[in-house]
Amino acid sequence: MLKVIIEKEIREIIGSLKFAITFGACAALIILSFYMGAKNYEISRTQYEAAKAANMRQLEGLTDWFEVRQHRIFLPPQPLASLVTGVANDIGRTIEVQGRGELTADDSRFSDDLIYAVFRFLDLDFIFGFILSLFAILLGYNLISGEKEQGTLRLAFAGAVPRHKFILGKLIGAMIALVLPLLIALSIGCLLLIIMGMPMVSGDWIRLTLIILTGLLYAGVFLTLSVFISAITQKSSDTFLLLLVIWIFGVLIVPRASVLLAGRAVDVPSVDEISFQKNRLSSQLWQEDKAKMPGFKPENSSDPEKMVEEFNRFMEDLADQREQKTREFAERLNEDKYNRQKKQQDLAFALARLSPSTSMTLAATSLAGTSMDLKNRYQAEAMDYQQAYGKFIKEKTGINPGGRMIMVKMTMDDAEKPEPINPYELPQFEYKPIAFAESFHSALSDIGLLVLYNLVFFAGAFLAFNRYDLR
Amino acid sequence: MLSILIQKELKGIILSPRFTAIFAICSVLMLLSVYIGINEYSESVKQYETTQQFIDQQMLEEVNWVHVENIAQRKPNPLQIFVGGINYDLGRMSEIGNDIPVKLKNPHYSDNPIYAVFRIIDFAFIVKFILTLLAILFTYNAINGERERGTLQLVFSNSIPKAKYLLAKCAGSWLGLVIPLTIPLLLCFLMVMVFKTPLTASNWAEIMMIIFASLLLFTFFIVLGVLISTLTRRSNISFLISLIVWVVLVLIVPRAGVLVAGQLVPVPRIAEIEGQRDAFAKDRWVRFNFDAEKRWREHGTPSCGAAQDDEQAWGWIQQEDSARKEIEKEIESFDTRLREDLRRRKAARISLANILARFSPASAYQLAAMAIAGTDIFLETRYEDSMNAYRTQFIDYVEKQAAEAGPGGGHIMISMSSEDGFSLQTGADPGAIDISGLPQYVAPVSHITDTIAPAVVDLGLLIIYTLFAFAGAFISFLKYNIR
Repeated sequence: MLKVIIEKEIREIIGSLKFAITFGACAALIILSFYMGAKNYEISRTQYEAAKAANMRQLEGLTDWFEVRQHRIFLPPQPLASLVTGVANDIGRTIEVQGRGELTADDSRFSDDLIYAVFRFLDLDFIFGFILSLFAILLGYNLISGEKEQGTLRLAFAGAVPRHKFILGKLIGAMIALVLPLLIALSIGCLLLIIMGMPMVSGDWIRLTLIILTGLLYAGVFLTLSVFISAITQKSSDTFLLLLVIWIFGVLIVPRASVLLAGRAVDVPSVDEISFQKNRLSSQLWQEDKAKMPGFKPENSSDPEKMVEEFNRFMEDLADQREQKTREFAERLNEDKYNRQKKQQDLAFALARLSPSTSMTLAATSLAGTSMDLKNRYQAEAMDYQQAYGKFIKEKTGINPGGRMIMVKMTMDDAEKPEPINPYELPQFEYKPIAFAESFHSALSDIGLLVLYNLVFFAGAFLAFNRYDLR
Repeated sequence: MLSILIQKELKGIILSPRFTAIFAICSVLMLLSVYIGINEYSESVKQYETTQQFIDQQMLEEVNWVHVENIAQRKPNPLQIFVGGINYDLGRMSEIGNDIPVKLKNPHYSDNPIYAVFRIIDFAFIVKFILTLLAILFTYNAINGERERGTLQLVFSNSIPKAKYLLAKCAGSWLGLVIPLTIPLLLCFLMVMVFKTPLTASNWAEIMMIIFASLLLFTFFIVLGVLISTLTRRSNISFLISLIVWVVLVLIVPRAGVLVAGQLVPVPRIAEIEGQRDAFAKDRWVRFNFDAEKRWREHGTPSCGAAQDDEQAWGWIQQEDSARKEIEKEIESFDTRLREDLRRRKAARISLANILARFSPASAYQLAAMAIAGTDIFLETRYEDSMNAYRTQFIDYVEKQAAEAGPGGGHIMISMSSEDGFSLQTGADPGAIDISGLPQYVAPVSHITDTIAPAVVDLGLLIIYTLFAFAGAFISFLKYNIR
C-alpha cells in the first residue's frame, strides 16, 4: 500500500508540466553556477599567478637581502570558494610582509574588481537559498490542498486507505521526486567541474558532497513545510501565499534583522579605532627611542665595519623592545575586539538560526572554508609565515628588519659587482586550508538543525493531515 | 468605458486575498530595508567622524614636515540608504603622502565580514527582486485567467475594442499595485526624516528619480506578465513561463554579462600593478644608491659620509635630496601610467559587461539607480581623482613647509670616522609643527544634474522595453481567441 502511494506520488509529480519547467530552470541554474564557478576560479587563478610572479620579479636584480622590502603574500583561490563564495571575495587577499610588525590584508576580490560587486556571483549558496527553496515550495504547496480541490483526495479515501499511510507516502514520494532529479543536475555540475579541469582533491570532493547534502536537506525543509502548510489550508492559492510570506520572512528578513539586532546589542571597537591606537603607541615608542639613539657609543671605534655591525645590532635591540611592547598592546586590543566580535557573531547567528536558510548558509560556508573563520585563519597563517620570513632574513643579513628601523650598510670600494640574490630562496607562503575535521565539526550543528526542521515539519504535516477535512 | 474597465480591474485586485498578503510583504520589506539603510548610514557617519578625529589627532602630534602624511576619507552618502551599490565594497579611505599612491582601503565588508554573510538588502534590492516577482505573479493570468473563468467571453459579448480592454487591464493592474505601495513609501520618507538624515533638495530629487526608475521597472514586469498571459492558453503554464522569464531576466542575464566580460577583457589585480611598480622603483633606487655612493666617495670621505663642517654637509644633503626627488618623480609617473592603463582596461570591461547585462531591464534599473544614488562603479574613479588632486596640493604645501623649516627636528645624521668614532645626531626637537595652514581634504559633492546624466540611457532603455512589451501584448491580444 505504502509503496503504491509513493510510486503514484512520484509519477504524478515528475510527469507534471510544472515539474518539468521548474526543474528545468533549477537544473539550468545549478549547472550554470558550476560553470561560472569554474570560470571564475580560472580567472582568479590567473590573476593570482600573475601577482605572485610580479612580486618575485621585483625582488630579482637586488644584490642584497638587506634591500628586500615590499614582499607580498597572497591568499590562493580555493576551488570550493568559487562554488560557495561565503566571505572569500570580501576579505583582503594581499598582505605585505615585513620581518616584524602588524600585518594587514588588503585588496578583497570585490574591492579590486568592483564589477563583481555590481552583479554578484551566482554561487550554490544563492541557488540553494533562493531558487531551491522556491522550487520545493512550488512542488509541495498543492500536494494536499490541490488534491482536495481536484476532488482526488475524496476519491483516494473512498478506498480503505489509512490516513497515516497516505500522508507518509505523499511525503516520501515528494521527497524522492525532489531529491533524485536534483542529484542528477548536481552530478552533471560536478562532471562539468572535472571536464573544465578544476583542481579538486579527494577532500574537496567530500566537502562538496556534504555541501550538496546540506542543500538537499534544506530543500527538504521547505518541501515538508509546504506539505504541512498544505495540510492546514483548504485552498491551494492560500497555501502558496502563506508559503511565500514565510519564505520572504525566513530567507530575506530574519537573517538580516538578526545581524542588525546583534550589531545594536553588542558594541565592537572599529578597525580604525584599534589601528589608530596601535599607531599612537608605535609613534610614542619611536620618539622615545630616537632620544636614546645619540647615546650609542660603539665599543670598537677603530674598525668601521665592526662599528656598523654594532650600530645595526643596537638598532635591532631597540626595535625588538619596541616590538615586544607594541605586540603586547596589540594582542590585548585584538583579543578584546575578537571576544566582542565573537559575542556579536554568536548572538546574530543564534537569532538568525530561526530560519533554516541561515543554517544552510553557515553549514555550506563552513564546509567550503569560506565562513567568517577564513579571515582569522589567513591572518594566523600570515603571522606564522612572518616568523619564518623574519628568521630567514636574519640568517641572511644578521638582523631582522622592519618597523621603523634604521640600518646602515657598509660598502667597500670593491671592484667586483655583487651577485644578485635569488628570491626563490625565500620561504614560500603555503596557505593551509581549514582541516576537514574542523570544518565538519563547525557545520555539524547546523546540519543537525536542518535535520531537526525536516523532522518537525514532517511530524507537523503528519499530525495536521490526521485532522484534515478530506471533502 | 475605459474608466469602468479600470475600476473593475482595481476592484478585482484589491478584493483578492493575494493583494493583502503582497501589500503586507512589500510594506514590511520596504520599511525594513530603509530602516536597515538608515541604521547603516548613521553608523557610517559615526565611524567617519570618529576616524576623522583620530586623523586630526595624529596630525597634531607630527614633529617634522618631511614625514607628514594624511588620510583622506570617503564621506558617507545619504542615498546609500536606498541604493547601496558598491558603497560597502569600496575602500573608505586612502593614505596621502609623498611616495604613497592614492588607493582606497578598508572597505566596510572587509572590516566587518559579518555584513557580507547576509548582505545588506536595500530598497533597490527589494524593487529588483521582490516587487518584480510580485508584479509578474499578479499579472501572469490577466488574460488567460479571465478566459478560463469564462469572463473574457462575457466581456467581449459587448462591443468593447480589444485595445481598450488591454489598456484597461494594464492600467488597472498598475494602479492596483502601485497606489497601495505609496503608503509604505511615504512611511519610508517619514522614517528618513524622523531619523534626521541630512538630505538636500538635490538628494530629494535623486530619491524621486530612483522611485521613478523603480516604477518603470515595476511597470515593465506588469506589462510582461500581461504579455505572457496573452501568449498562452492556460494560466498554470503562463505562471511557470513567467517564473522562468523572471529568473532569466533578473538572475541570469546580469551575471552572465559580467562573466563573459570578465573572460573577454582580462584585467590584472592591483597587486600585480604594485609589483610592477616596485620592480621599477627598486631598479631606479639601486642605480641611484650606486651613483650616490660614487658621489660620496668623490667628496673624499669614507662611504658613510662625514662632513668638514655642517654647512657643507647640509649642501650635500640638499643635493642628494634633489637627486632623490628626480627619481621619485620618475617612479611616480611610471606608477601613474600603470594605473591609467589599469583604469582603461577596467573601463573597457565595464562597458562590455553593461552592454551585455542591459539585455535585461532589471540590469538597466540597477545601473540607473546606482548612477543616480552615486554608488555606481565610477564612485571609485571619482574619489581617486579628487584625492589625487588633494594629494598634489598636500605634497606641494608640505614640501614648501619642509624647505622653509630647514634642517629642523627629526633629522638624523650619522657620521663615522676612524678618529672621531661613531656619532649620531638627531636634530633638535622643536615640538609639534604648526599644521593650521595645511589644506584639508574635501570630499566631492555631486548634484542631481551630474548623477542623472549617466542614468538617462538606462531609464530610456526601461521605457523602450516597456513599450515593446506593451506592443507585443497588444499584437498578441488582437489575435487572441477569447473563447
